[in-house]
Amino acid sequence: MRNRATTPLSRAKIRQSWSKYNLYNLQRFRNPSTNNRTFFQQKWTAKSSARAYHGEQVPETQWERMFSRRIRSVVPMDATRLAQDDGSIASSGRGSGIMSPWEMERAKKEKLTPFTQMTFAPLERRLDTAIFRALFASSTRQARQFVVHGAVTVNGKEMRYPGYLLNPGDMFQVDPERVMFATGAPKSKAERREGRIARQKTETPEEGEESVAEEEKEGKEKQKPEAEAQPEDTRETLKGLMAQAKTIMSKEKSDLPAKKKQELRGFQKAIKRVLSRSESSTILNDNLESQFSELMTLLKATRLEKKDNKGKNTESQPAAESSDPVAETEAPDSRPGQALTEAFQKATENPAEEVDTSELTESELDTLKRALIQMRDNPIDSTKPYATPWRPRDYMSVFAFIPRYLEVNQNICAAVYLRHPVARPGFSEVPSPFSESINTGAFAWYLRRR
Amino acid sequence: MPPRIQTQRVSNSVLPYLSSTSSTPASSCTSLPPSSTSCPHRTFSSTSAAQTRLRSHMFEWLNSEGRKLRYHEPNVYKYVTNLRDLAKDTVPPEQLSKRPFPLNQNFVSEPILSEEMREEIYKRVAQDKKSVRAVSIELKVDMRRVAAVVRLMEMEKGWRTQGKPLALPYSRAIQEMVPTTRYSPDPRNQRPHESINDLPVHRLTDPQIFYPVSESRQFTRVDAGRVFSGAPRLPNSTVDEITNDPSSSISRATQNPHLIERVGKGDQETQVLQPADARIPHPYLVAHERDSIKKPHERGENIKRFSSRLQEEERAEAERRQAAEERREKKTAKVNPEDSRFEFRFTDVVVSKETTGADGRGHRAPGRRYGVPSYERKKGEVKIPTRVNV
Amino acid sequence: MVVRIRLSRFGNKHQPFYNICVSQARSARDSKPLEVIGTYNPLPQRPTNLSTEQARNARPYKEVALDRSRAKYWLGVGAQPSDGVWKLLSLAGLAEKTKTKTEGSE
Repeated sequence: MRNRATTPLSRAKIRQSWSKYNLYNLQRFRNPSTNNRTFFQQKWTAKSSARAYHGEQVPETQWERMFSRRIRSVVPMDATRLAQDDGSIASSGRGSGIMSPWEMERAKKEKLTPFTQMTFAPLERRLDTAIFRALFASSTRQARQFVVHGAVTVNGKEMRYPGYLLNPGDMFQVDPERVMFATGAPKSKAERREGRIARQKTETPEEGEESVAEEEKEGKEKQKPEAEAQPEDTRETLKGLMAQAKTIMSKEKSDLPAKKKQELRGFQKAIKRVLSRSESSTILNDNLESQFSELMTLLKATRLEKKDNKGKNTESQPAAESSDPVAETEAPDSRPGQALTEAFQKATENPAEEVDTSELTESELDTLKRALIQMRDNPIDSTKPYATPWRPRDYMSVFAFIPRYLEVNQNICAAVYLRHPVARPGFSEVPSPFSESINTGAFAWYLRRR
Repeated sequence: MPPRIQTQRVSNSVLPYLSSTSSTPASSCTSLPPSSTSCPHRTFSSTSAAQTRLRSHMFEWLNSEGRKLRYHEPNVYKYVTNLRDLAKDTVPPEQLSKRPFPLNQNFVSEPILSEEMREEIYKRVAQDKKSVRAVSIELKVDMRRVAAVVRLMEMEKGWRTQGKPLALPYSRAIQEMVPTTRYSPDPRNQRPHESINDLPVHRLTDPQIFYPVSESRQFTRVDAGRVFSGAPRLPNSTVDEITNDPSSSISRATQNPHLIERVGKGDQETQVLQPADARIPHPYLVAHERDSIKKPHERGENIKRFSSRLQEEERAEAERRQAAEERREKKTAKVNPEDSRFEFRFTDVVVSKETTGADGRGHRAPGRRYGVPSYERKKGEVKIPTRVNV
Repeated sequence: MVVRIRLSRFGNKHQPFYNICVSQARSARDSKPLEVIGTYNPLPQRPTNLSTEQARNARPYKEVALDRSRAKYWLGVGAQPSDGVWKLLSLAGLAEKTKTKTEGSE
């Protein structure tokens, strides 16, 4: 399907897309003026600008068939008010009800249900639109491509029709790699080059693997005697590790990505080196918990209480987390939780009297741990089609919202279509960038043809 | 403005380590694409000058006002509506608007469930074996959403045990960009996620009906429902019964939906429209409120009655589901032949004058109809599946 | 003339679906029969609503709808099932396990 969804700058048209052109158009879009224009002209402009956004990939005749003048709406009921009145008060007197003055006030304040904002609700049922709404793709066109290319399953079965109309309770799931690609920042030139080199290496695997294996062997042979010969060395390595972890965590968005990568890589290597001293090779690919504890035992770094704290933290208890230091003390930034963390540290440090040779403060441990987690969850991998470590693409947060009729689990990139979108007093669930005047015009346009 | 180094705001407590993926300092804005504020002179370009000028305007805006929107910060809603507030930098992030579209007053970015909330819902349903209804009332989350969360979490756990790669950095970034509903262990502090007692507007209530009633008569929601569906007026004895004990009459309707009175003939036959109290998802909440208005001093008793009503509702629902299952089981016989890879399911059908009708084309009779053309190959015939069974 | 219980094909290309019908032996396959007593869907269906573990071991199934009393009646008055229908009827417990030679019409 040819993409007619251009984002012209000459005439602002809003599309279902996260591009910066679209953002620019979105912020400068104004309601079309109605002065000296016939009702037909007003409806035409309203319909054409609304359709540029809503279901632009759907042919007009198909949308006309989908259009429904019946709009779903709900009224949130208050149990207390239902209990107070069985309806007879509202119909008492001559049928218009007896209201106390404060009730009259409340009735005046009650918002109207924006029915016409729901004009394009039937399109939200489409699979490609739902994928875009669940923030799994950066545009509906891209979502459509994911579906057509077979990266989407509905209720566990592959679904290749972007026009599939979701039923309430349907679960759709998109390949996480595609989602990361769609929502992640693109690769820079250098990263693309790295990826190309990596690919070439895999194409000629014999040489590459051998050399790597040799390197590894050499490395192990070198390191083993070192470790055996100098058990006291641990303190030094720990210091080195800490320094590296700090640089990683502090200079997050260093303006030189290549340099940052180098640092990350160095850190990775260092940790591998430390871990390879322990004989059990499973730790390297085991879960983070055991990796971390192994690291600590190897370096004789922790005291008992601290370990306990760590254990708690990893179970993600909100209370423990909030008091957790968020960054290293040396960093020149003032945080609101700084005083708290210091107090927390003192509290943990005072009761413990034996002090280890290579002692780490709470914050340092945390930094180390964070660096480890970051490395596991968000690794550098030049074979990926997006910039690694993953970060959201530019201007993504402008378009980030998830409507209520979807329940999304971002970890597995799956979502459930709970129900059809509804209008309620003051709110409509169809995400539309247009004001009521435009949507009403569009609604009237399609009513005419029924 | 001093450069933002990291998450200045309190970062999401479920995900302590998220700052690593998110939040970009303004300092890195220096590496923007070269702004074309001075219109580049292209000697050999065939592009019209207007387009280039428009583009230059766009990049000018992106580098000045739009720069604020480029990178996300945790818990700062960087919507276009907030452009001016973000530029001033004086508005606290809690007061920023949650409307993503400046022109649409009726659409707000509503909070999603936080990671801990999802865990809690899963724990209560899957481990504590609480019913979806009960969890929905406790945490103020819609029942369908509770069920969906459990289903998704089940899948996530499966993925974790299988060691499939998850989109963790993506998930963290989204949780920071979108407002979230946090879980608080104290039930009194739990913020409601959404309204759980939504009454869907029924088709029958669309028309405005002029229905004269004598002033001496009490006209209630029950009567209004009957008027809307064209049912005759209730006898006085039943009206008295309902006014004396509204809660039990409502629970009778919600627990035995097949006993609800029907009106109309043939295809027009429908159930009488029930009052709002019976059509909302949690009718026993209304009964509880009624109790607490009538007997304000028996708080403990009221709560006991409430929980018994809730259990009654759950029991009735489970019974209904089981009965339907049994009916289906009874109608089908499963045969597993030894020499076949397949199971054969025999369903009983009835072929008689009633089902086939006089001309033999009745819809309730088994089999495809004879003499009906197949439109399979017709142009424009939609072949997209309409349903995917779980 | 012999009355047979046999299948007549409906459905689309690559999507067969059969009516189990009672008709004159010499009439066309898809012509209007004496009576339709059931349906048979030969495409195996995957059982749904199962956990992942159950789904792995579950047998796919084929759906048959049948009016037993009508089938018994037609067998009683001497209608002769075709091979395919014989198999289905035997699974339903309405006919012998194997089709004996004597019962065949030819």
